[in-house]
Amino acid sequence: MDWFYVKGILILSGINLMAVLGLSLLTGFTGLFSFGHAGFMAIGAYAAAFIGVNLRLPLIVSLLAGGLAAGIISLFIGRLTLKLKGDYFCIATLGFGEAIRLILDNVQVFGGARGWPGIPIRIDLWNVVLINLAGIAFMISLVNSRHGRNMIAIREEELAAETIGIDTFKYKMISLFTSAVYAGIAGGLVGYYTGFLQPKMFGMTKSTELTIIVIFGGIGSISGSVLGTLLLTALPELLRAFALWRLVAYGAAVIFIMISRPEGLMGGKEITFKGILRAFGFGHKHGKAREV
Amino acid sequence: MDILEISDLTKTFGGLTAVEDVSFRVQEGSISGLIGPNGAGKTTIFNLITGIYKVTAGEITWRGDPIQNLEPHVIANMGITRTFQNIRLFKRLSVYSNIITACHGNASYSIADSVLKSKRFRTEEKRLREDAVSLMKILGLTEWQDHVAHSLPYGLQRRLEIARALAVKPKLLLLDEPAAGMNPDETQQLMHHICRIRDEFGCTVLVIEHRMDLIMGICENIVVLNFGKKLTEGPPKEIQSNPQVIEAYLGKEAGISA
Amino acid sequence: MTQFLQQIINGLSIGSVYALMAVGYSLVYSIMNFSNFAHGGIIMLGAYFGFYLLTLFKWPFVLAFFGAALCSTVLAVLLERVAYKPLRMRNAPFLYFIISAMGASMFIENFVIATIGPTFKTYPPVLSREPFQIGSLFIGRLDTMIFITSAVCLLLLVYFIDFTKVGKAIRATAFNARVSALMGINTDMIITLVFAVGGFLAGVAGVLFGMKYTVYPQIGAVTIKSFIAAVFGGLGSLPGAVIGSVILGLLETLISGYFSSQFRDLISFSLLIAILVFRPVGLMGKLGEEKA
Repeated sequence: MDWFYVKGILILSGINLMAVLGLSLLTGFTGLFSFGHAGFMAIGAYAAAFIGVNLRLPLIVSLLAGGLAAGIISLFIGRLTLKLKGDYFCIATLGFGEAIRLILDNVQVFGGARGWPGIPIRIDLWNVVLINLAGIAFMISLVNSRHGRNMIAIREEELAAETIGIDTFKYKMISLFTSAVYAGIAGGLVGYYTGFLQPKMFGMTKSTELTIIVIFGGIGSISGSVLGTLLLTALPELLRAFALWRLVAYGAAVIFIMISRPEGLMGGKEITFKGILRAFGFGHKHGKAREV
Repeated sequence: MDILEISDLTKTFGGLTAVEDVSFRVQEGSISGLIGPNGAGKTTIFNLITGIYKVTAGEITWRGDPIQNLEPHVIANMGITRTFQNIRLFKRLSVYSNIITACHGNASYSIADSVLKSKRFRTEEKRLREDAVSLMKILGLTEWQDHVAHSLPYGLQRRLEIARALAVKPKLLLLDEPAAGMNPDETQQLMHHICRIRDEFGCTVLVIEHRMDLIMGICENIVVLNFGKKLTEGPPKEIQSNPQVIEAYLGKEAGISA
Repeated sequence: MTQFLQQIINGLSIGSVYALMAVGYSLVYSIMNFSNFAHGGIIMLGAYFGFYLLTLFKWPFVLAFFGAALCSTVLAVLLERVAYKPLRMRNAPFLYFIISAMGASMFIENFVIATIGPTFKTYPPVLSREPFQIGSLFIGRLDTMIFITSAVCLLLLVYFIDFTKVGKAIRATAFNARVSALMGINTDMIITLVFAVGGFLAGVAGVLFGMKYTVYPQIGAVTIKSFIAAVFGGLGSLPGAVIGSVILGLLETLISGYFSSQFRDLISFSLLIAILVFRPVGLMGKLGEEKA
C-alpha cells in the first residue's frame, strides 16, 4: 500500500464527509429524512464546474457558488414539503434526487448521460483537509448554539418545540439549506478531483450510501459522522475485490444496526477532550453533559 | 384585569363537537382551574389556546389581542406556554439540555455570531447558562442536571416539563394534569411550586386537573366543563357544593369532599 | 382518434400495474404509518420468481404466476419479521423503520445483482402475438391480460377489505391499532396478513411488469412512481392509490406518445410537485390534525 493510494482514500473520505456532515445536520440533528441528497451534490457539482470552467473563477468561489446553487434549490423543495407530514418530505426528496439525475441525463449542455469530461483537476489532499476542517468547525459551532439546540428539539419532540417558541418551519428550512450547501460543495469537490462528471455518479446509490454513513456513525454525533465516513469510505476501497457484495453487506448491516444498535457507532455522543480523559480514568464522573 | 378571555369557543372534528360555545376569563396573576370529567374538552381548549388546533368558531383574546389560529410558536413567544398531559419532554436529552434549549428566546445572536464566537454570542450564551442553572435550582433539579430526561422518576419528569415551560418566561402557564401519577407528598410539593411560580415569576396559571386536593387547594377560580360545554364557574367553595358539578363527576348520589 | 384510444389502452395497462404496486404500498402505509421502501424489492423478486419458474422449472404459465405471487407473499412476511417486527416490539420511532426499509431494499437489489447478475431477462412469449381487433383498434393480448388480472386482483382486494370479517379487522387496525388490540384483534397477525396481501399484489405486479417490459434488478426503482401515485391519490387511501396510478399511467403513455419518451419519467415527478403545491393530501386524502 503506497502513499498515493492512501491519499486517494483520504481525499475521497474528505469529499464524502462534506456531504455526510450536511446530511447529518438534516437527519441526525433535525430528524428529517432525505433520500435524495445526491441530487444536491449533482447541482453543486455541475454549477461549480460550470462557474470554474466557463467563468474561470478560483476554486473556492466555484465551490461556494455550487453550494449556494444547491442551497437555493433546497429552499424551493423545503417550501413545498416541510409543512407536511414527514413521509411527504421523504418521498419528495426521493423524487427530487431521481429527477435531477434524469434532467442531467437528458440536458445535452452538460454532456447528458455521457458526462462532462475535461474539468481541470484542482483538488489535492491539503485543500480537501482545509475545507473539511472548516466544515467541521462550522458544524460544531452551529450545533452547540441555540440554533443547533432548536433543531435537536425538533428532532426530539416537534410539538413541544413549537410550544416553547421554536419556529419549526424556519429551523427545518435552515437545516435543509445548510445541508444542501454542504452537499453542493461536496459535489463541486467531486468534479475537481476526478476531472469529469456524470449524472449516474449522483444516483440513488450515492444518496443511500450517504444516509447509511450517517446512521452508522450515529445520529446526532459529528465525530460519529467523521469516523463513519473514514471507515465506510476506506473499507470498500480495501475490499474492492468484493465490490458486488459490498452493497449487499451494507443493506444487511443497516437492518442489523437498526435492530440492535440504532444509536450507531458513537451513540449520539461526541468525542471530546474531557471524554477522552475520562476514558483513561481522569476527571470527575459528573461534569457538564456534552451529549447532543 | 383579564389576561385571557375565551369567547364562544367552538371546536368540531368532522362530526364530533369537542368544545361548544365555551366562554370564560382568566384574571391576571391568578391561579385558575379547568376541571371536568374525561372527554369534557379541557385539553382541547388548551390546544386551541396554544394554537395547536385551529378554532372552528369563537375568539381567544390575550391581553386585548385576538390570538386564535396563530402558529403555536408565535403564541409561545407572546407569553403563553404549557405542559402536556402525556409528558413531551426531549426524552433523550439531559435535564440541563431540556431547559437551556427552552431558553433560546432570551438570546438573539445569529448563526454567524455562533460560528465567529462573537462577544454577543459569548455573553448571551453565558446568560442562558445562568438562567438554566437558576431554574434548575428553584425547581430542585440541580442534582439531576446530567441525567437523561426519560430516566427520571415520573414526578421529576413532570417537574422538568414545568421548568422547561418556565424557561420561556411566560406570562400564562397552562398545566395539563401536572399531578397525574403523583402521591400526596409530591402533590403537596407541586402545589407549593405552583404558588411560587405565581408569586416569584409573576406568572398567571391555569391548571387542568382531576386531583381535587390540588384544585381546591390552590385555585381561586374554577371553570367546570362537561361534554364540551361550560357547566359553571366560581370559587372552590361554590363549585364543591354545586349539585350539577357533583352529578357530572359522580352521578346523582355522591358528594365531593375537599 | 384511433391512435388516441390506442394510447389510452396502453396507459390503462401500465396504469393497472402501477395500481397493483401502489395499493400494496398504501395498504402497509395505512396500517403501520410508514413507507415500506422495500416494497419495490419484493416486486422485483416477483418478476424474477415468475421468470425462473417459467423458464428454469418449466411450470405451466398459470402455475408459475401463482407460484411467483406466493413466493413474494412469503418474502414479504419474512421481511416484516426480520426488519420491522423487532422495531415494532420496541416502539421505535418511525424514522428507524424507514432506515431499515432502505437497508432491506438495498440488500435485496444488490443480492440479486451479485448472484444472478445485472443483465436483463426477457419473459418467454406466453400469449399469441396477434392482437384483438375491435373496429380499427388493435388491443394487444398482453395488455388485455394485464388489465384484467389487475382488475380482478383489485376487486378481490376490495371484497376482502370491505366485506369480510378479517377485512374489517384490518380497517379497524388501520384506524387505531391500540384500540383494536384492546378489542381483541390480534394486531400482530393483522400486520402479518397485510404484508402478505401486499406481498401477493407485489408478486403479481412484478410478473406483469416483467412480462410487459423486462426483468432486471432495478425494477424496484419503478416503484418510486407508484409511491408518487399513492401520494397523488392520497397516502393511505386504497381507491386513491388506484385512481392515482391509472392517471399516472395514462399521462405517461399519452405524453410519451405525443411528445417524447424522454420526458416520460419526468411526468411522475412533475405530478408530485403539482400535488405538493396544490393539494398535498392527495385526491382522496383527508386533512388531519395532530392531537396533543
